Amino acid sequence: MSFQEKQLPADASFGDKALNWIDARFPLSSTWKAHLSEYYAPKNFNFLYVFGSLALLVLVIQIVTGIFLVMHYKPDANLAFASVEYIMRDVPWGWLVRYMHSTGASAFFIVVYIHMLRGLLYGSYRKPRELVWLFGVGIFLCLMAEAFFGYLLPWGQMSYWGAQVIVNLFGAIPFIGPDLSLWIRGDYVVSDATLNRFFAFHVIAIPLVLIGLVVAHIVALHEVGSSNPDGVEIKNTLDERGVPLDGIPFHPYYSVHDIFIVTIFLLIFTAVVFFAPEMGGYFLEYNNFVPANPLKTPPHIAPVWYFTPFYSILRATTSDFVYWLQAGVAAYVALIILRSRLAKTCKIAAAVIGLLVIVGMFIFDAKFWGVVLMGVSVMIMFALPWLDTSPVKSIRYRPDWHKYIYIVFGIAFIVLGYLGVQPPTAVGTAIAQVCTFLYFGFFLLMPWWSAMGTFKQVPDRVVYHPH
Amino acid sequence: MSNEKQVDSGRRGLLVATCAAGGVAGLATTGVLVSTLQPSERAKAAGAPVEVDISGMAPGEQRTVEWRGKPVWIIKRTPEQVAALPKHDGELADPESKRTQFSTTPDYAMNEWRSRNKDILVLVGICPHLGCSPSSRFQAGPQPSLPDDWQGGFLCPCHGSTFDLAGRVYKNKPSPDNLQVPPYMFEGDTKLVIGKDEKGEAKA
Amino acid sequence: MILLKKLIAAAVLLPGLALASEATFPLDQAPDYTKDMAALQNGARLFVNYCLSCHSASSMRYNRLKDIGLSEEQIKNNLLFTSDKVGDMMTVAMSGKDAKAWFGAEPPDLSVIARAKASEAGSGPDWLYTYLRTFYKDDTRPTGWNNLVFPNVGMPHVLWELQGVRTAKFEEVKNPHEEGKTEHKFVGFQQVTPGTLTPVQYDKAVADLVSYMTWMAEPAQTTRKRIGVWVLLFLGVCIVLTWRLNASYWKDVR
Repeated sequence: MSFQEKQLPADASFGDKALNWIDARFPLSSTWKAHLSEYYAPKNFNFLYVFGSLALLVLVIQIVTGIFLVMHYKPDANLAFASVEYIMRDVPWGWLVRYMHSTGASAFFIVVYIHMLRGLLYGSYRKPRELVWLFGVGIFLCLMAEAFFGYLLPWGQMSYWGAQVIVNLFGAIPFIGPDLSLWIRGDYVVSDATLNRFFAFHVIAIPLVLIGLVVAHIVALHEVGSSNPDGVEIKNTLDERGVPLDGIPFHPYYSVHDIFIVTIFLLIFTAVVFFAPEMGGYFLEYNNFVPANPLKTPPHIAPVWYFTPFYSILRATTSDFVYWLQAGVAAYVALIILRSRLAKTCKIAAAVIGLLVIVGMFIFDAKFWGVVLMGVSVMIMFALPWLDTSPVKSIRYRPDWHKYIYIVFGIAFIVLGYLGVQPPTAVGTAIAQVCTFLYFGFFLLMPWWSAMGTFKQVPDRVVYHPH
Repeated sequence: MSNEKQVDSGRRGLLVATCAAGGVAGLATTGVLVSTLQPSERAKAAGAPVEVDISGMAPGEQRTVEWRGKPVWIIKRTPEQVAALPKHDGELADPESKRTQFSTTPDYAMNEWRSRNKDILVLVGICPHLGCSPSSRFQAGPQPSLPDDWQGGFLCPCHGSTFDLAGRVYKNKPSPDNLQVPPYMFEGDTKLVIGKDEKGEAKA
Repeated sequence: MILLKKLIAAAVLLPGLALASEATFPLDQAPDYTKDMAALQNGARLFVNYCLSCHSASSMRYNRLKDIGLSEEQIKNNLLFTSDKVGDMMTVAMSGKDAKAWFGAEPPDLSVIARAKASEAGSGPDWLYTYLRTFYKDDTRPTGWNNLVFPNVGMPHVLWELQGVRTAKFEEVKNPHEEGKTEHKFVGFQQVTPGTLTPVQYDKAVADLVSYMTWMAEPAQTTRKRIGVWVLLFLGVCIVLTWRLNASYWKDVR
């Protein structure tokens, strides 16, 4: 088709003509319409639906503050700690940029966890939105990596020893472990070489991947349209123009609404930045105000609060616990064989894998299986769209007792997080082990429990109460 | 249907107010971020005035100190060198140091000797043309790259600009300006402070 | 449901686990003079005179002391070592190697010590305040001094002339955690020789010094809190505006 530029009347304004020129060469107006002014989102979003926009805001805050921090930070083991104090004291307004970045890191995880909770409760990951969820879990993984690499940069005691411990986790992998750790570190211990490469990952590699995944996440969402707290597909009921009856254009309704929520978020965010940047040692850990000392391990190393649920699972995996895990694996394989409708080949595969894992648990250390369990605890999120067999998407139309399953899962997750911050104790480990079973049980047994019970009738139209 | 065209005046007012507030927030944030690029306390401390002990300097001697990363020359001129200064005003591009494009000569140097007192000359040793550091040519008389009636001064090796013993540039040379006289003052007879004068510490 | 109740009960009782770990010396609460210029200036004087011979504060620039009301002249005349310039950092003449040889450990840099010493036992200033007031004479130690908060510390009691010399009395009491064992329990100090300050004056001097170190750990804190109030007020106004703006759009949605 030959190039067609729309002809405007001669008295059209300069602005209109300029826009027309651009639109003939670049999908500016069409993108604006498709994703904002004519992207029809369900009108019944509740408070939990704002956290996606907030996550995007925090991403921008981190990138912008990060750029200005890199202008003064020195990624050298001898200079890094002092360069952070240089930013705090000698750079005009440096202290504010630093606190925004450190608070933003924790804010990112709070926002993302609530965002994921929303997805869990309302079945946002269900067909046709599985890919949105997959990109999202990818973003979560990148976010954890980004936070981990970034945490080494201040080169404090917690930075150093936290990195040492986590990199040594890879050393637990059989056969290749020690070489892998050596390769990751670039040295025999965490050192200047490690700092420099973590800096490269934190500043450029992962941010690029993150931005790409966020774009993919939003594009995938817009392709099928947003879900809503009722789990009703608004595209099933269209008006004569093809616009969903329960849909409202994102702009101006949700853009203005999100700006309102953003100001509330910023109030809380700046309250922390200006009045409690350390947040009791959770956002800026006390021990990180001591320069890294490779010869002196602090008495108590804990990862930053947002990693602690998964860290707890790692620590809970003691040698004794491995026996329980073996029993669990055996029971699960039995469940698959006896009570699932999977194909015969799948059942055989499950049995073989189960057997290999059980044998492996006799051969390899609990240390290795702790790492595996911790990894699986995150990776299992990828499987969620296929584990959920409920006939309804949203918790609003599920049997009431499903709510308690979600509450138990939530409490188990929070308890794991709390235990991860504390030093290990016998009682704490036992509780963490119970919570580990609850955590995995929630996901692995979901194909069964999510379809059980009496479901409520899902309406054709969303439930909306005018403001 | 008719309501759609009439934008609610209340809504318009709120829109204006919100945009104004957002603009203030945006400007404040931009201001904070941009000001992080300003010289830090470390840069300002490194650029602090430099104290030099000039006791024991012989006539004709030149010392060089570093101030703000630049070479600063301190030259103790001989009486003959000082006497020769007014004689070649006609050959100079800006004999009275009126130009301010490269630097503004301080009040106390707006005289024949371009210095507070006749014998001590203080100059920033950077050629105003493109930033090379001129070499000293105190010896009078004919020399390569210099005229036959050379009275002593400086020759910039990069593009050939010549300056007299008050740092003033000769006509038709690549540099349009005289060498900069930095702010400086004496503290006592033997201490010279470069980078500070009665007006305070040098700004830019 | 019962499981749920058990879990909630367990979650509520968990904090008790944390306290069962290490027994540290109980910390006194440090008085906060970080808004008192006179106290901070006194603290700065004490810091420079008593601490900087062995410790550095290499992120602290002398001319930042202007923020606590000192002029450049006052800094130059009273607080600078002769070789330093007012734009220099508070570094120490003693090298780390020498320090390690003489004291057994390198004296840590004190720039952010007030932030580093925080723990469940108390805040960083609390730790410093209690530490500097619980030295006692102990001839079994190389320096002749020991400390209740930091047992067997390598640092001598630099402020001994101000506080005077004290010994500590200990009693053997039954160990509550282990059967049949006893532990050393501190029961009190005994003043052997008086210091130049009374105990009340000494506590105030230490409070000044600790307040100075608290300020020094984050000189921007006064500005931070002052600006923070205005930022929050501004955001409060923004919240009201955007709330009404939002309502004005959403009233159209049925």
